[in-house]
Order: sequence, then C-alpha cells, then structure tokens
Amino acid sequence: MAGLASCSQLPPLDALAAHNEGNSPGFRFTDVTAPAGIQFQHNSGAFGGKFLPETLGSGCAFLDYDRDGWQDILLINGADWPGHKRNRTTLRLYHNNGNGTFTDVTTRAGLDVELYGMGVAVGDYNNDGFPDILITCVGQNRLFRNTGKATFVDVTNTSGLGKREGFSTSALWFDYDRDGLLDLFVCNYVKWSPEHDVFCSLDGKHKSYCTPEAYRGETCWLFHNRGNGTFEDVTAVSGIFDSSSKSLGVALLDENRSGWPDLVVANDTQPNKLYRNQENGTFKDAALEAGLAFSSEGKARAGMGIDVGDFDNSGSPGVAITNFDNEMIGLYRLSGKSYEDIAPQSGVGLASKNSLGFGCMFLDMNLDGWLDFAVANGHIDETVRNIRGNVGYAQSPQLFLNNGKGSFRDIASEVGGNFDQPKVGRGLAYADFDRDGDLDLLLTTNNGPAYLYRNDQLSGNRSIRFHLAGTKSNRDAIGATVRLFAGGILQSRMVKGGSSYLSQSELPVTFGVEKRDQIERVTIDWPSGRTEEYKNLATGRAYECTEGKGIVPRNGY
Amino acid sequence: MIRFIITAFSHIDGFLSRPTLALTNDDPALYARGVPRANSRERSPTLGLLLGLLVTLSAVVAYSAYITWQVDGLRRLQTDMVDRNRKDSLQLLRIQNDLSLLAVGMRDMISGDEPYPLTAWSSQFQRIRTDLDDAIRLESGFASGTRTPEQNAFLTREFAQFWDAVDRVFSLARDGKEKEARDQIQLSLQERQATLSSTVSRLLVQNSESQEQAGQRIVQIYDRVQREVYVFLAATLLAILLTSLSLIRWNRRLFARLAEISERRSDLAQKLIATQESTLRYISRELHDEFGQILTAIGSMLRRAGTHAPEGSSLRADLQEVLQTVQTTLESVRSLSQALHPVMLDEAGLETTLDWYIPTVERQTGIAISYEKQGQPFRVEGVAGVHVYRVLQEALNNVARHSGAKEAWVRLRFLPNTLELEVEDHGTGIPERQNKRGIGLVAMRERSELMGGQIIFSSTVKGGTLVHLSVPREKAESYGKEDHSVACG
Repeated sequence: MAGLASCSQLPPLDALAAHNEGNSPGFRFTDVTAPAGIQFQHNSGAFGGKFLPETLGSGCAFLDYDRDGWQDILLINGADWPGHKRNRTTLRLYHNNGNGTFTDVTTRAGLDVELYGMGVAVGDYNNDGFPDILITCVGQNRLFRNTGKATFVDVTNTSGLGKREGFSTSALWFDYDRDGLLDLFVCNYVKWSPEHDVFCSLDGKHKSYCTPEAYRGETCWLFHNRGNGTFEDVTAVSGIFDSSSKSLGVALLDENRSGWPDLVVANDTQPNKLYRNQENGTFKDAALEAGLAFSSEGKARAGMGIDVGDFDNSGSPGVAITNFDNEMIGLYRLSGKSYEDIAPQSGVGLASKNSLGFGCMFLDMNLDGWLDFAVANGHIDETVRNIRGNVGYAQSPQLFLNNGKGSFRDIASEVGGNFDQPKVGRGLAYADFDRDGDLDLLLTTNNGPAYLYRNDQLSGNRSIRFHLAGTKSNRDAIGATVRLFAGGILQSRMVKGGSSYLSQSELPVTFGVEKRDQIERVTIDWPSGRTEEYKNLATGRAYECTEGKGIVPRNGY
Repeated sequence: MIRFIITAFSHIDGFLSRPTLALTNDDPALYARGVPRANSRERSPTLGLLLGLLVTLSAVVAYSAYITWQVDGLRRLQTDMVDRNRKDSLQLLRIQNDLSLLAVGMRDMISGDEPYPLTAWSSQFQRIRTDLDDAIRLESGFASGTRTPEQNAFLTREFAQFWDAVDRVFSLARDGKEKEARDQIQLSLQERQATLSSTVSRLLVQNSESQEQAGQRIVQIYDRVQREVYVFLAATLLAILLTSLSLIRWNRRLFARLAEISERRSDLAQKLIATQESTLRYISRELHDEFGQILTAIGSMLRRAGTHAPEGSSLRADLQEVLQTVQTTLESVRSLSQALHPVMLDEAGLETTLDWYIPTVERQTGIAISYEKQGQPFRVEGVAGVHVYRVLQEALNNVARHSGAKEAWVRLRFLPNTLELEVEDHGTGIPERQNKRGIGLVAMRERSELMGGQIIFSSTVKGGTLVHLSVPREKAESYGKEDHSVACG
C-alpha cells in the first residue's frame, strides 16, 4: 500500500527507477575509517594466558559529548594484563569535526585512563544536558561525569559505584522508577579474575579459552539514581538478583506498553531474562512465560548481543538475540501474550547458523520505513576452523534487509565498502555522524581495528529525525516512545541506550519515509507519562523536541 | 475341429453299410454313438486355478493386514512409549537443571561472597520454582501410566517439603536471622535438594531403561516382521510353484490329448479315404468287369440271335433295338465305372487321366476350363494319382456347384521337386461356413497331408477361389505304389 501510494505520486521516470532498484539495497557503504582519522587498535591483552575476557571485547558508542550537534565516537579498549605489560592502551574518544573527520581528544577530555574496558553506556544521569559515560570493565567499572566543558571526571567512587569488582559487559541507563533520573543497569558475565582463572584445554596439553560453563555466573546489577550524584545498589530489592546469570547483552523495551520500562537480557548458556517492571520498583523475570528464555527446543542458547525494535511496524517491539555458531539468531515477534521465534521462516535463522553473532541492531538502512537488522560476527576461538571447517574465526558482518513482508535478506556483500570482509566483530553502533539523514555504522573487532562505514542513499529515500530532551522526564528522554504515521504505516522507535553488544548507538531517533516530503503525524510518549503530538512535519530534516515545550526544526539533519 | 473329426468318424459304420457317401452329414445327435467328447472326460483346470488365485490373493490380503497391524503396533510403541519417554526425559532434565540451579543458588547463599542479604535470592528461587512447577506439571503428564502412585506421592511430598524449607529459610532471612538461615540451608535444604536430585536421576535412569526395553521390543517387532516376510515370501513362492506345476501338468495332458486326437483323426481320415477309394474301385471294377462282361455277352448273343432272325423281320428290328439299348447301357456302365474310379489312372497315369477328365467335366458342366500343363511330366502313380485326381475332382465340383463361375483354370506343374496343381475360378469364393465345416475341403486337406503335401485355399484378386496343391515329387512318384493296401484298405 505504501509503495503504491508513493509510486502514484511520482513521475513515471522515477517510478521506473524505483522499479529498477527493486533488487538493489538502495544505499551504499563507504569505509571511511582512515579518511575520518580513526586509528584505533583494540588490545585484548592476550599474551598466551588465554584469559576469558580476551575473547569478548570491546564495545563502542556514538555520543555528542560536547553538544555541538555532531555525533562523536567512543571506542572502548582492553589493556595488558598485570604482569604482562607491553603497551599502554586506553579507550579513545574521537571528536566529530563536522566535516567527515574526527580528532582524537581522549587525553584532552580526561579519558586517557588505563583500564580493561568491555562496554559502554552513555547517559546524562545528572540531567545537566551533557552525556556522562559508564565504562564496564573487567575489575572496577568506571563512571565519568561530563563537566560540560568537553572534559570528563571519574566519579566512580563518589557516586557509590566503587568497590564493586566484577566482569561487567553491557550496561544501560534507564529510568525504571520514572522519577526523572537515569538509573543504571549493568550486566555481569561470570565470576572471573586473573587470580582465579581456570585451566581449560581442548587437547589436554595446551590451554584454551574456557566456555562460560567453567565459571559461576554473576548477577546483573541495578543501581538506583538518588538524584544527588550517588547511586544505590537495588539489585536485591528490585528482584533483579540472580547469581546464575551469565549476561552479555541488555536492551530496553516497554514490552506491555505500560509506560514502565522493562528489560530483556541475553544470557550465555543460561536462560535469557525478561525483567518485567512491576511498577513498584521491582522486577519479575517473565522470560519463560514470554517465550524468550529458551530456544524453541527448550534449550538455553549462548546469547550474546540483543536489540529491540518494531521491525514489523506492528507497534509492539520485537526482540533479536545473537547466539553462538551452530545456533540461529533468535528473532522474536510478539504473538498474543508471548514471543514467537520467527528466525527460521524470516530468512535470518539459516543465514546466521554458521556465524557467531555479537553486536546487533535494528535500524532502517535504506530509509524505506522498515527496520533492517545488522549483525557483527566473529568467533572467539582462533582455531575454530580446525574443528568446524565451515566456520571461521573472522566472519562477515551481516546486513539483513527487511522487505516489509516478514522476511529478511542478507545484503552485506552488495553494499560495498568491503563491509562483508570477514572480521572478528564484536561491538556495533549506529549514528548519523555526517548528518545526511541516514544511519552510519561503527563496528569494533576483537584485538583489531574499528571500522566506520558511511551510509549514502542511492534511491533518494529520505528520513525525519527527532532529538528529544526531557524536562520532567530524564533529560535524555531515554524510555520515550516516538510513533510516526506516514503513508498508512505506523512506525515506532524508543529512545534507548544499551542494546547491541557492549555498545551504544546515538540517542536521536530516525524514521525512513521513502521519498515522502511530509509525514502525517508523530506522537511522543515521554517517560513522565506525557504525550505530545505533532502533525504534517516536513521530512528531510531533524527536529528538537523538548518535553512540554514544543518542537523546533533544525536546519537540515 | 475336434467335433468335426468326430462327426466324420461317426459316419464310418453308416458309410460302410451304405454305398452312397454321406460325408456332409453333420448331425449333432451322432455324438451319442459311443465316442465321448474330449473335454467331458477331463476335469477343467479353471476351478483349480481360480482356487489357487483365491488362495494367493487371500495370502496377500492377510499378510498386508498383518504388516499394517505390526506397523501400527510399532507406531503406537514409538508414540506412546518412545516419544513419551523422550519428552518425559526432557522435562526430567529440565527439573534436574532447575535443581542444580537451586544447588548453585544455595552454595552462593552459604558462601556469602555476594554483598547482598539472603533475601536477594528469593526472586531467583521464585523463578526456578515457577519453572520447576511447569516442568513437573508437564512431566507428570508424560509419565502417567509408567510411574507408580507411590513414586508420584513421594515426589510431590519431597518437593512440597523442599519448598516449605525454602520458605522457612527466607522467612528467617527476612527476620534478619541470616546465620540461622544459612545453617538451615546446610542442615536441611541442601540435603533435600540432593534427595530430589537423586530421585530425578533415578527417574531418568528408569526412563533410560524403559527406553532400552522399548528399543528391544522394537527390534523384536522388526525381527518378527522380517521372519514373517520370509515366511510369506516362501509361501508365495510355493503357491506360485504349485500353480505353475499344475498348469504345466494340465498343459501336458491337454497337448497329449490333442496329439492323440490328431493322430486318431489322421488315422480315421486315412481309413475313410482308403475305404472310399477301395469301395469306389470295387464298384467301378464290378461295373466294368461284371456288368460290362454281361452286357457285352448279351450284346453278342443279341447280335447272334439277330442273324437267325429273318432279314427285315420285326423280331430282327426288335433285337436290333434291344442291342442298341444294351450298347447304351454298356456305355453308361463304363462311363459310371470310369467316373467312380478311372481305370485310366491305374493304367495310363494321372496326366492322361486329366487329359480325358477335364474335357469330360467341361462337357458335363458347361464350364469352360482352360487346362495348362507346365514342366517336364513325370509319372504320378498309384494312390498319389488318385489323391491328386480326387482333389481336382472336388475342386471342379466346387466350382460347378458353388462358385457360379462359367470359367475355370486348371494348371498342372511338374516342377523339378514338386508337383503342383492349381484350380482357379473367378466366382463367389468359398463361403465362410463351408470353409470351416465342408467335408469336401477337409477331405482335400487330408489327402494332401496323406501325400505329405500342402493345400492352400485362397481368394484370387478377382474374388474367386484358388486351390493350390503341392506334393513333393518323391511322394507323387512313389506314394502308395508299393503299399497298395493303404489305398485299398
């Protein structure tokens, strides 16, 4: 219907062009890592000791730390293990110069800190308008407060997050009690420390990386924001506590559209969790009854990355969880009161069976109004090909294009930029860093470089973007749901951190509208409960929406 | 064919008692005269074969039913036992997994290395409990029938007591009595968990055993079915063998009977023809020799008597008239004798006889006959000559009586190795009925066979009949020459 409606408005030549583009993705990737000035090399710290965390890092994030309107890049890094020091490596903050290039401002920003970083969660926990950064680590996690002057200060200890050593992975900021303050959820993997490393071996002689079964699980943490710059550990009282968890990914959703944010957590070799917000400061795990805990065969899979998105434009969020090789990606669609894994019939299942997925996210790559699905793949075992001939250590990332009819097609090899070149992929994030209205990709690899892929539309599709700022709600408006009506299709997006794997994408939301120059209606459900509606907005630009204060168009995206 | 031969056979005694030929008589009533029909003496094999077919079909149906029953049994066994068992085991494994998660949880609670109070674990335990309840519910559905009520009761009681103990532990923890709660875990909860775990393990072993038993039963069923397949195949082969043997036996008897009949028929035909020939020859000779002599003597006497009668007297005229009559009678007798059996055949041979006979027929019937001879003539003597002559006689007879033709062609060919006789007309052809049943044609065929020759009746292009007789030269020259008895009976 949408296609027909849009075609009827087009001159014949354009219609013909659109028809000819039926099989082409409609966009092109360019690897701009080097021209953009991003020279990053991840350090897993591997020295031969085969420490478990070496295989898992690290993440990345898009954030506008200086509020100049251009999305900057944060790349998390590992470090050499104690006793095996070779080089000093730190995370890297790249400032977006607004001209396609970036400048490494790590030191200047005060982030030149050596730590074994895994993931990142960006959120304005103190509502000062400047995004703060939580780095999850092997050891002590670090919270960096944005001073508003393009610098960060480490407030880990003063915030009450100190003295908590763990093996943290993904994390996200969200306002679970809707008090207008961002709280913090942190995933932990297993109880591991260099001192308590276990010897695992495939041949009985040489040490190899252990699987998570070799270690005890560790509970995820939930920290309540007191509003005074400090946090309170509410893991136990909120019902989040579960010492059997081996969590790697977390995503925010409003599963029952109650306005109260829920969480879905991907666990490795343990059942996934769906923490349903009980609207009283506690959560209840409903993954089993919701059908998200196990695979359809009743097996706990090796969940890695996770994302939530309304990929079928049904208004209800679907869930995707990447799993180990020989396990399909789980692609769940809400069917009645529980989720149904549609990966096998959607075309995602079989295509993902021989790859080990980490970072994953729903995003509308070709701006046709349907959320596509990107996956970063890469194995953890360098010798995997010796055991399974059809599975490599470096694996091609995947880009599943959504045809709007419930099926997906991997077009990684068709988008250019050597995107499908095999990599040991881990983190994955998106943002419109060049402000051309479409979403660009940032991909990190284990013990390798990071990649920045610029997305350029070829079909003339355009988008409309919204930058939300809460007033009564949290300043980042995390948890706000934006619904957009255009061409008879209802799209919905949630402002969210977390998702993917160890990474965070930009907070502004982007809607593809094909070639429409106007949308019919947009509604914003703020976390505070307030709903706002705007009509007949022009596309091809971004809007600043401030809770209760209306909407202001930007000049362009 | 058989019937025809029997008909011919049945005429023998009648034929012998009467000098006139009655070969075309085909009265069915004559079957009753002591020559039984061949097929009434032997029982028909149809009934036996039908019975065999029925038995074979019944065996196939019975076997199909048996196999279906066995397969059904197998399916039932697999669905009811194996699948059920597998599903039950899956649920037991789920229960086992939940129990081990509880064990891990209890271990973590006791170890005290988490910065949380024991109550933190309550949601974890609650989640496991929900899953356990679900698993137990499903499991009991799959296990119904294979588990004793005592086992069920024990399991239910143990789980109830375990959760009761869990509730008490968390109650203590909520009251801040963490140490007591930890003691309870160590004293009772872990023990109960271990008991439950070993019970579930036993059930899993039990399932595994019954799985094994079911597997053995399946193997037994397969073995039985395999055995039955062999038995069935053997029985089917036996049935096929018996049927085939029976068919072969019947066929052999049938062929033997046919051969016998054929031999008898041939015998009969030979006797018939021989009798006919000897009778005709006898009558012909009697007419020629006896009546001819008498009439000649009467003629001589009449002539002598005539000389004693005065010239011009009425007596002399009367005697002359009687003499004329005697002369005519003598010629008639000679003519009849010649017709019945041309003495010329015996004395002058076939070729000369035909030279005489064909114009005679032409004269008698008014049919224009073109007679043509080819090749270097050789002597055709004795019985062979008689047979060829009779064939020609019958063929021309047919032309005259049935064809309606006014013209006929007779060709006699003396080929190097064969004597050929052809009689052709352009009349109406041989009627179908006569072709099948006419005694004349049969006699012609018999005669040709007696000579080792071949006779073919065919239609000419112009619609008439062509009778083609071919006799090997050696037979034509020698057949019946030495063995006169064959011809003379």
